[in-house]
Formats: sequence, structure tokens, C-alpha cells
Amino acid sequence: MSERTTQFTRSLGGLFHRAGIFGAVVLILAIGALVSPKFLTAGNLLNTVDSVMLLGIVAVGVAFVTYSGHYADLSVPTTMAFSGVMAVEMLRFGFVPALLAGLATGLGIGLVNALMVGRLRVNPIIWTLAMSYLTMGVMRWLWSNQQIYPDVKGGDTGAGRLFTELYRHEVLSRIPLPMVILALFAVAGHYVLTRTAFGQQLKLVGSNPSMAAMTGVRMPRTVGLAFVLSALAASVGGILITSLSKVGAYYNGEGYDFDAVTAVVLGGVMLTGGRGSMLGVLGGVLMLGLMSNILTLLGVDTFAQRIVKGAVFLAVVGVSSLLARRMGRDDA
Amino acid sequence: MSDIGLALQLEQVSKRYTGMLAVDGVDFDVRAGEVHALIGENGAGKSTLMNIIAGAFADYTGRILIGGQEVALHSPVAAKRHGIQMIHQELSLARTLSVAENLLAGRLPARLGILDRRALRAEARALLQRVGLDSLDPATLVEDIGQHEAQLVEIAKALGNRPCILVMDEPTSALSRDEVKHLFEIVRNLRRQGLAIVYISHHLPEILEIADRVSVMRDGKKIATREMRDVTQADLVEMMVGRAAAADLYSRKARPAPGKEKLQVRGLTRIGVFHDVSFSVRCGEILGIGGLAGSGRTELARALVAADAPDAGELLLDGCPVRPKRLSDAIRLGMAYLPEERKTLGLALRLSAGENLLAALIPRLTRRCHYSARRGDGTLGRLMGLLQVHPSDPQVTVHNLSGGNQQKVLLAKWLAVEPQVLILDEPTRGVDIGAKVIIHRAIEDVAEQGRAVILISSDLPELVSLSDRVLILRHGRMIREMPRESLSEEAVLLAANGGVGDV
Repeated sequence: MSERTTQFTRSLGGLFHRAGIFGAVVLILAIGALVSPKFLTAGNLLNTVDSVMLLGIVAVGVAFVTYSGHYADLSVPTTMAFSGVMAVEMLRFGFVPALLAGLATGLGIGLVNALMVGRLRVNPIIWTLAMSYLTMGVMRWLWSNQQIYPDVKGGDTGAGRLFTELYRHEVLSRIPLPMVILALFAVAGHYVLTRTAFGQQLKLVGSNPSMAAMTGVRMPRTVGLAFVLSALAASVGGILITSLSKVGAYYNGEGYDFDAVTAVVLGGVMLTGGRGSMLGVLGGVLMLGLMSNILTLLGVDTFAQRIVKGAVFLAVVGVSSLLARRMGRDDA
Repeated sequence: MSDIGLALQLEQVSKRYTGMLAVDGVDFDVRAGEVHALIGENGAGKSTLMNIIAGAFADYTGRILIGGQEVALHSPVAAKRHGIQMIHQELSLARTLSVAENLLAGRLPARLGILDRRALRAEARALLQRVGLDSLDPATLVEDIGQHEAQLVEIAKALGNRPCILVMDEPTSALSRDEVKHLFEIVRNLRRQGLAIVYISHHLPEILEIADRVSVMRDGKKIATREMRDVTQADLVEMMVGRAAAADLYSRKARPAPGKEKLQVRGLTRIGVFHDVSFSVRCGEILGIGGLAGSGRTELARALVAADAPDAGELLLDGCPVRPKRLSDAIRLGMAYLPEERKTLGLALRLSAGENLLAALIPRLTRRCHYSARRGDGTLGRLMGLLQVHPSDPQVTVHNLSGGNQQKVLLAKWLAVEPQVLILDEPTRGVDIGAKVIIHRAIEDVAEQGRAVILISSDLPELVSLSDRVLILRHGRMIREMPRESLSEEAVLLAANGGVGDV
């Protein structure tokens, strides 16, 4: 290859990393406009954003795990389901106790993951996969494979109604609550990642764990916190998805593990850890939403959409590894 | 242009990394039946040049001729096809496979798709004979053979591909003197068989012994190519570094006498690693720790800063007992440990120089949960300047720095925490002479400021010239303390080997 082509590849790589995902978002907006006249309408775009708010909330949490170099948290879907089911079950004690129970469930799962991956250094993919299987078993066994309903569990306290209206609640009677939560999470996530000791040390851990350990980073605590944050975000997402579907069930949250990782990686958080940003993650989430919206407008059914999503994931991981290598570092 | 006797010819070969020319218009050639040494400081461009020949880059410029024919070495496969074999410093053998399987990796003999074990053994035997390992059973696992044998197996493996050009990168770095002698016999033998050999090394005496010609590189350029019989070791050093830098090394500055005891170590033990180690180090003192590889020096240092937990013993800092439970505690107590493995334990290669330099300082740059890298700007600028890190831009990825500059960043990272006790494990391993001088001055500065330094080093001239006192560790026991007056390279070496060492 000549000197010039290499420089071209390199600047392309630089562009990919800097403008990152938002260049791709603009591109897909243009494609969408070509595909369907209905695409670039306020209503359609708002619907698109609406459809990925939960994914955004969950992805902000998973981003910490990926950033720390531990790839993904596969226990996200069952954490969502379990938090929702627990919240519904506790509605009998009132609305606030129910929410707290949901969050506590997430915290519990997060702490177990933190202990196993952070302190005992178990492979994160294998462990969270096992954790997911185990929690699923516990749920289906405890609730005899049944769905539970907020209005039934809440009795006549009114907590059930409050719970089912949670997702549709509008802050200042205008902005949907999940949107507000997503915005708060993203801002807080950005701050934690870039402006706290934890975020800085997480970058060291993601970039070179042995070096981080020999620099005085407390590995169990730092890695563990990433998994706890992931589980907490998942439990917030789980409570909201349960409120939306008005039913507590083990299958709530199905598919969020893969979607979240796809969004995170699409948003430029490297699977090898230590590189990426929360803004990018939001872009990745938006991108997934727009893609699936366009496919729906094209009349592609949801199962075929999975094929596209899987292909996009493979392409992104492939291209980013390739570009990283071209730029002269073979560690990606 | 072409010359039949030349096995390999490079004309105006260059290679650019992000922003800098690592190899800058180099002409170089090797004759068949010749050992051509290539020397230069770390970062001079030797390895990049050899990687070009080995086909590691698709984007070099210039012409490469093999046997007078111009070739394109754009992939390792292409390089191998043209008869080039490279033996890297880090061995590339698969430890869990047998010697025979390693030797014939990628071209295992098979009959109808089934491994032909008899042919495998026979071919492996033949290859081993060429490197004088007649007695080694080819079925032995690589993890069960010694470093020296592994090195020879590596050469045998390269020979198996019938090369006409053999590149050897620091082949003697892990070998004893007798083993080096043996290796040289093999190299001479290969030369007689008409192989063109490029020999990269830091050991000038070895080069004077084995090479026919020598080329010197500096800052990516080739400085000169000379017939070996026309040069002396002093000439080579001068070509490598320039006269001024060479004279500056190993000259000892006078230092004030050490003050009160800073760190006392009593009966420190890690069972099976080191036993009952007691010593103390004073303010303003550089305490050397010598010993052979495997004597427990690194493990002792790790236990001092609680990177590993000792089984017994106590530490006193300024006379008060301290009990750090983990490395972060030790750092807070004012201790710092610069590990030997720069690339794996010391630095995060894909982060910037600035991020690496401030890594150990993160807790201190955080106030009320708010981390601000700007608070570290002063430290960053001061240390980058003090250690003359080049390039001086803290945004540069450490991966792109030369070994010497990486090592400076690593030292700066630990100077940044302003430790009261600075423990250095091989602080100048694999760095060029210029960086070595700067690092030595910085270490002496630390002592001069009244802080205590513990220096672990296998580099005897370094250990002897910097230390006020040297402790000798052997098989995990502190066997000897040598005061400044009785320090000499020979005495330390003798003591480390268990001799009496009264010189």
C-alpha cells in the first residue's frame, strides 16, 4: 500500500473515532428520508426516540462494564425482569416500598456480580451468563412460571395504578419520565466517567488491568462498582418496562443484553476497554432506534430485523478492530 | 546496481509512524556468508528496519533487492517466501507443544491427512543436529527445556524453512557465557554454509567477536557501515551516542551523607520465596539490592509495597510500625514501586504520556468527588521537562514512544507521587544510553532531596556507581552487605554467585 492510501485510511479512522456515531446518525437520517416520506415527520421521530429510552437507560449502565474491559453484562435482561417482578410483588406495601424493592433487587444482583468478577476474577461473560440463567430459574420457580399484575398485587391501595402509570408519567406535564431519567443517567454517567477518580481508574483498568493493579487501583472495588452500576441501571429499566407492559414477568427485558452491547459498541466504546464516551453511547442508542424504525417503515418484520442488528454488530466490531490495527496498534 | 555477492540489499528504505520517521532513507546490505551486526540505541530504528525486512509493514518506501532482484516484502508470508527468517528477542515457541511440533509448525508431515509421527521425529532430529542439540529428545515439551535450548530450538525452527537470510535480534540476552560461546560456534557454522546473517545486539564485545561488518543506526538514520577489523569498541560507542553522552555515564556525583533511618525491614518472609530479610534504608541514601535472576529481589520489593502479602515480618517507617494491606495503602504511606515489566505492569501503552504520568496521582487530584487533570498540569510539565521526555507533548500515545522515553514516563509516574521511599526495579532495562544518563541523574536527585531509594538492578555498572551500599540476595536470603568502599562489579558478581567476594 502506498503512503497516501495509508494516510487516507488513518484519517478515515480518526474521523470514525472523533465525529464517531453522529456522522452515522446524520447518514441514516438521510437514508430514512429517501426511504419513506413518513420518516422525517416530528411524530415518527418522537416515536423513535420513545422506543429507545429504556434501551438508553440500560446502555448507560452496560457502558461502564464495557469501558472497564469486561465486555458486557449478560445478566441485564433477568435483572430487569426480577426487579420488575419484585416491585410488583411489593406493591402491597405501597408504591415507594415497591420501587425500593425493585432497586434493591438490582443492587443485590450487581453486588454478586461485583464479588465474582471483581474480587474472584471470574470471566465476566461466563459469570453473567450463569447469573442470568440462575436468576431466571429462581424467578420461574418462586412465581410458578406465572405473570403477576400490578393492579391485583396493589390491592385497593392505589399503588397498582400509580405503578402502571409510572412509565407514562410526564414531568412538568410535558416530558416523559423515562426521557428525564435517561437524560439524568447520561449526564451523571458522563460526569462519573470523565470527572471522578472512579472513572479515571476505570480507564486504567480498561486499558491495562495489570498496570492499574500495580498503580494502586483497588481492582475488586473499581471493577465491582462498574457491575453494580450496570445492574442498578438495569433495575430502573426493569421497573419502567414492567410499568409499561403492566405485567411482572420473567421474560421482561428479553433482548436488552445484546441491544445494549450493540448500542455501546456502535457508540464507540471499544470492546477492549478504556475508550469511549457516554455521548457516543447515546448516539449508538439513537442509531439502533432509527435503524429499526426505517426497517419497520420498509415493512421488514421484527425477526428479520434481528438479522440486520446482528450483522450491524459484527460489522462494527470488525471495522473498529480493523481500523485500530491499521492505525498501528494491534491491541484492539 | 545489483551485485551478485549481496544476499540482501536495501536502498533508501524509510518507514513513517504517526508523525515521525522511524527509519529514514537507510541503505544496507548483507553478503552471503557474512555476519553483519546492526547496532544502535533503543529507538534508533534497528527493530523497525528488521521488521520491514521481515514483512511486518505494507507501507515502507524504498527498494529492497534479494539476490539482485527487486522484491516487495509487504507481508510476513512474502518475506518467508523470499528466504528471510527472523528470530525475535521474545521467543515464539508454543510452550505446551513438543520440540518437534514447534520445529515443524505449519508444515507437519502427513500421510493421507494423518500426522506422520516417524517423519516428524526424523526431520526434527535432523534440524536439532544442525544446532548441536543432538541429545535433545524431539518429543520433549518446550516448557521442560531451558532458555538456552529454547533459543537453539528457535534457530533450528528458522533453519527448517531453508532461509538464505537470517535475522537474529538479541539472541544472547538470556544466555550464560558458555552458552553464548556455543551459540557463536553455530552462527560461524551457518556462515560457512553461506547464510547471510544480520545480528542485532547491545553487547559490543560479542559483536566484536562474531561480526564481519557492523552498521550503526541513530535517530532512524544509518550513521556508518564499517569492516569490523577497522573499529574498536570505543569507536562504536561514539558512533552510537556521540562522545559527550558516553563520557557522562557512570560518573558519580558526590552526595551528602545519609540521614536518619527512613524504612526498617525486620524478618520479612514469604515462604518459599525469601526468608527472614532484615535491613534498613536511610534518608538520602541509595540502597542497592543485587543478586541473580530468581534470587527473590522482585518478590521482596513487591512485598515491601504490599503488592503481595508477606507471611511474616514487620516494616517501620520513621521508627513507627506500619502495616499496609494493599498497594494503595503503601502509596499513601509514601512508598512507591517502579516495576520491572514496563510494558505490562508499568504503563498503559494505549493511553497518552500524560494519562500514564498522572495515573498514580488520581486519588490526589480528586477533591469532593471531582477529578481535575488540570490540577496535575504543574507536575506533568515539570516532570516531562526534568526527564526530557521526547516528544514533549503529553498527548502522545505511550505506544509510540521509544523504550527510553517510555521508561522516563514510568519513572515520572512514580516521582509524581513524591514518595519518601522510592523502590526501583531495573529502572533502565533496555533503554538507550541517553535516557540512562537522565534517569540516573533523576534518581540521584531524589536521594539528594533527602528521600530514600532502593535500587534493584542487574546492570552491575549501574548498581555499583549509584548505590551507597549494596545488599546481596541469594536464594531468597540476604547474604551480604557491601559498603561503598568495597563495591566493584566483580565483587558484586562474585557475591551474587555465592562466592566470598573479598576483593
